[in-house]
Amino acid sequence: MAQHVHDSLIYDRRLRPIYELLELGNNKKALQEAEKLLKKMPVLPCGRALKALALLRLGREEESNTLLKALAEEKPSDEATLQVLSFCYKETEQLEKICELYKEALKKSPGNDELLAHLFMSYVRLDDFKSQQTVALQLYRQVRGNPYYFWAVNSVVLQGLRGPESSVPAKRSLFLALAQRMVEEFISQEKIKDEQEVQLYLSILMEQGKFKEALDFLGGTLCQKVYPGAHKSLKIDLFKKLNMWNELNSYLKMNLRSERDRWDYYKDYLTSCFELAKLNDTTEENENNILDNCHEFLCQLIEGGKRVRGPYLARLELHKRMRENNMNAKELLGDFADLIIEYFRFFGDKQCCTNDIALFLESISRDERITVASKLVRDSGISSTTLPQNKEQMQKHICSLQLSRMCGSNIGLSQEHLLALYTALRLHYEHGLSAFGQNLLSTDMGPSDPYSLLATHIMYDVAAEEGKSYHLIEAICLLYYVLQNSPSNFHAKLLLLKIYHFLGCGVGAHQIYESLDIKHIQLESMGYLHCALLPATGLVSVAKSVYDVTLSFFTTSYKERLEYIAMAYKYGSFSKIEEFMDFRDRLSNSLHYASTSAEQLLLELVCLSGALWQNLNTYKMMSIHPAEDRIKWNELADNRDLSVVVRWDPIDLIDHNEKQNSFDQDIECLQIRSHLLRLVASFIDALNSHDKIQAENSNEGNRNTEVLESLKTSWNEIFKRIRSKNFTKSSNKFLVNLLPSRLHAMLDMPYETFFSDVAEFLIDLSINFQLTDDRVAQLNGNVSKVQTILCDSVRENNDQEDNIWNRREIQQRIVSAVEILSLYAFVLSVCHQKYATTPVQAKKSKKKEGVQKTASENLSQRIIGLMRHLKQELQICDNELVLWKQPKFHTSLAECMSGMSLNPQVESSVTTKVSDIFKENHLQTIKDLRNIIKDKIRMVNK
Amino acid sequence: MTTLRPFTCDDMFKFNNVNLDPLTETYGLAFYMQYLAHWPEYFQVAESPSGEIMGYIMGKAEGQRENWHGHVTALTVSPDYRRLGLAGLLMNFLEDVSEDKKAYFVDLFVRVSNKVAINMYTNLGYIVYRTVLEYYSGDPDEDAYDMRKALSRDVDKKSMIPLLHPARPEDVD
Ligand SMILES: CC(C)(COP(=O)(O)OP(=O)(O)OC[C@H]1O[C@@H](n2cnc3c(N)ncnc32)[C@H](O)[C@@H]1OP(=O)(O)O)[C@@H](O)C(=O)NCCC(=O)NCCS
Repeated sequence: MAQHVHDSLIYDRRLRPIYELLELGNNKKALQEAEKLLKKMPVLPCGRALKALALLRLGREEESNTLLKALAEEKPSDEATLQVLSFCYKETEQLEKICELYKEALKKSPGNDELLAHLFMSYVRLDDFKSQQTVALQLYRQVRGNPYYFWAVNSVVLQGLRGPESSVPAKRSLFLALAQRMVEEFISQEKIKDEQEVQLYLSILMEQGKFKEALDFLGGTLCQKVYPGAHKSLKIDLFKKLNMWNELNSYLKMNLRSERDRWDYYKDYLTSCFELAKLNDTTEENENNILDNCHEFLCQLIEGGKRVRGPYLARLELHKRMRENNMNAKELLGDFADLIIEYFRFFGDKQCCTNDIALFLESISRDERITVASKLVRDSGISSTTLPQNKEQMQKHICSLQLSRMCGSNIGLSQEHLLALYTALRLHYEHGLSAFGQNLLSTDMGPSDPYSLLATHIMYDVAAEEGKSYHLIEAICLLYYVLQNSPSNFHAKLLLLKIYHFLGCGVGAHQIYESLDIKHIQLESMGYLHCALLPATGLVSVAKSVYDVTLSFFTTSYKERLEYIAMAYKYGSFSKIEEFMDFRDRLSNSLHYASTSAEQLLLELVCLSGALWQNLNTYKMMSIHPAEDRIKWNELADNRDLSVVVRWDPIDLIDHNEKQNSFDQDIECLQIRSHLLRLVASFIDALNSHDKIQAENSNEGNRNTEVLESLKTSWNEIFKRIRSKNFTKSSNKFLVNLLPSRLHAMLDMPYETFFSDVAEFLIDLSINFQLTDDRVAQLNGNVSKVQTILCDSVRENNDQEDNIWNRREIQQRIVSAVEILSLYAFVLSVCHQKYATTPVQAKKSKKKEGVQKTASENLSQRIIGLMRHLKQELQICDNELVLWKQPKFHTSLAECMSGMSLNPQVESSVTTKVSDIFKENHLQTIKDLRNIIKDKIRMVNK
Repeated sequence: MTTLRPFTCDDMFKFNNVNLDPLTETYGLAFYMQYLAHWPEYFQVAESPSGEIMGYIMGKAEGQRENWHGHVTALTVSPDYRRLGLAGLLMNFLEDVSEDKKAYFVDLFVRVSNKVAINMYTNLGYIVYRTVLEYYSGDPDEDAYDMRKALSRDVDKKSMIPLLHPARPEDVD
């Protein structure tokens, strides 16, 4: 007791302030305080643990490690110290050590339930299900609480489903049967208390295909008592699994009567009808009977109260399924187009009507779709000479227009026709705004906004057909105008973001991006819209800040991933555990995470600007470790939300493989980018380790050269492999299409030869200490080639009548050129320090010294020669960038805006704003690129 | 036309169409995960026939004795699917879960400026129990209404007797 009081006093007075400082991230102060405390109480384990944590967070890993090691050897057993040590191990990803820690502590106080619980969680972090089971049972014996017992059950289940033996069917069954028995023992003793326990039992039965048992259990008293809200969906699922179509049918009919708008019920209800029809297929009559009844039932629901979409949609679905089954749907339900029109008449004034009808468009032919489309437009009652009389009619009109684009009505129209359509939409927008869009809250979307969104898509079509930017810029102006009226219309913002990136205008894109306030998980699912496109814009500071925010989300989530599953155990939410595991893997292996990490490091290398020792320090802090490939290539996950940008593109022209193709290509792009990073790092390491080459066979030096050699080989192999796949660029037929993967730029620009030649140069240098004339010519030739690409690109853009439309691609080439030369500059600067400032001391034999000296002077001269050449070429690039011309705006842009019947003030403010953004983008890009180049000129100035 | 099902982690990758709405907050990952881990039955999503997320509700059960209640932490419906009764459906669901748990009432906080939501809750039978001053931080901070509706266990609707004096954020929760 006295001891305890003493402990808690120390804790309160001495330790807590240190905890608090660490929590606030004030690691330096925390370290000072810890050291102060340790002066007084040098052995206090918790004090030392806190010191280790502070050191770790200050990046002083070695010192921290020494301390940690010593502490671990003492086998601490007090809760506080163990906690802090666990933190340290979590941060350094040494999760096994946490298990060791608690195992040792338990030896000192066997059966301590708190320690056991920690030990259990430490196995959870490692997915070590077997050890989880053991510890959970120990805990259960100790404490006798249900939760621990079910921890054990769940651990057994996981061994069967995901453990090392889960792929052996016999083992899998064994584990599941064991888990089932464990629960049943509890059931027989009437110990089951919790809904999640029941759910776990049900899922164990389901995993074993014991559907009948599950169904019986679901209907039993225990389940009714403990789990009254048992999901109906579970019962439905079981009926389906057991082919109990009659039961399913009546169960769903019962439920649909009270919930007439449940799509999930209708779908299964219809399935049950078709299955029953199949079963009783002895006579066609019978089959018809069942579907007749089904139709009858839907009609009852239609008439049975307030008008809801459910039964109407179900009828469309019935029509569709009958046609799929070659049944005579028309006879039973009438003409499909008529049903759609009927639906439209009832629900066309709801925004969701477009999506509803779209569900069924694929089931009819293109010709039929065109017919439906024109019927819908006619039915909306709006023609070229009339305007909507009320909000509902306007929404109907909007819906009919969206659907007719989806049906393909816009395809094949002449440019004039499309432009006329655009003008009409713009006018409808204006009209709707003044008639129905007044007094909106700033958080509302304008009711006529969809006209403008549709108009934007059409303008993209026109621009793409012409290959000119003019009409697309007009669309930008229109969208800004929309945003003035409804500032929180995120659809308009997302379209702007797409257009800006399409036109290579990163500054505009970034402004819009900021206004979207994208954060947390959205950084992952929407990162592809901005973050992933930044490498090609050349906007260094923008890119850096977005990478930082994005990566801080990922690193935090990566750390936290360890706790979610533990939390699910803590609350006994067994139904979530596997889901959490999958989610953890999906997020940890995110392609966007891996790419952004690589881009951030590459950008940092490209932007190096200080003195050599500073740069080497920065480089060291990046801890790249070229020998390790840390990316799990086969597990990379695509978590992009492509559906977030609105589209109504013709359904038969939508490329359903777009996402997969772009994912595949982006993975290959990452292969190259991450390899580039590792290759450059291996250059630096190889050069740096020469420092230590006192004796010729320094191990580290050799190893570094070996790494370099093997990376060089794989570098060439990667390119060969990727080129042989002949990837095609994505088409950008529609505005929402993803931009072509950067992979193509990586293949088109001379990355491969350039860095492969640098690698050979360095290998040659480190093994033979030589730099031949041929090599010099080759390297200088490569540099000149990159310079030419850059200058030609600038000139190409300058010569273009419309220097905005192709800007993105040209800009991307220029940015790549700067990147290549910058990385090379850094490598040369390190090389220079090693070979040109100090004589090579490889051979110390006195006799040869004279020869060596001239050789090394010679080498040094040659390296300086390389640098001078690079400097010259960089100078040329810099001069050319100055000549890069501003984006030219079509003189009639202002005209077109005034044609928009906007008031003149709005019009001029919008056009000025847009042209200013493009100008700013141009100037900023040039400024950022020139800064990089100037730094590099300084870097190689010898 | 709805499919109602438990919210899963993967839904976070595709709830953007709902969350980009300016009145809908996107919370840190840990926040959602905590709700999923602790009150999975209280986190439901309404899905459209094409598999799009139309809206979701996130809540919890908390409190002691007569204060044992269901709480709505977030309720949101995508702009494309408003005025179809979805919010009502989701609220019903949460009330049913709370009934199953034998809670006394359901409560929630809403910005005093959010007329649409306040109106909706009122139509669903909620009353303003009290005002919480400067509950939402921002520029400027905004007050919240703490709204409540009694469940069947609170026979006398004691939980719905409004308080006359506003509370401070630190006094609630
Ligand atoms: C508030 C919100 C959830 C309502 O969703 P919803 O699915 O459109 O609401 P419902 O269709 O279920 O509406 C139920 C009732 O509320 C009222 N209501 C809802 N929206 C309304 C509106 N815009 N104007 C007037 N009344 C409205 C109506 O009485 C409606 O019943 P009715 O359509 O039969 O007349 C939705 O607008 C939203 O997501 N807003 C942004 C997020 C938010 O504010 N959440 C609440 C934070 S606490």
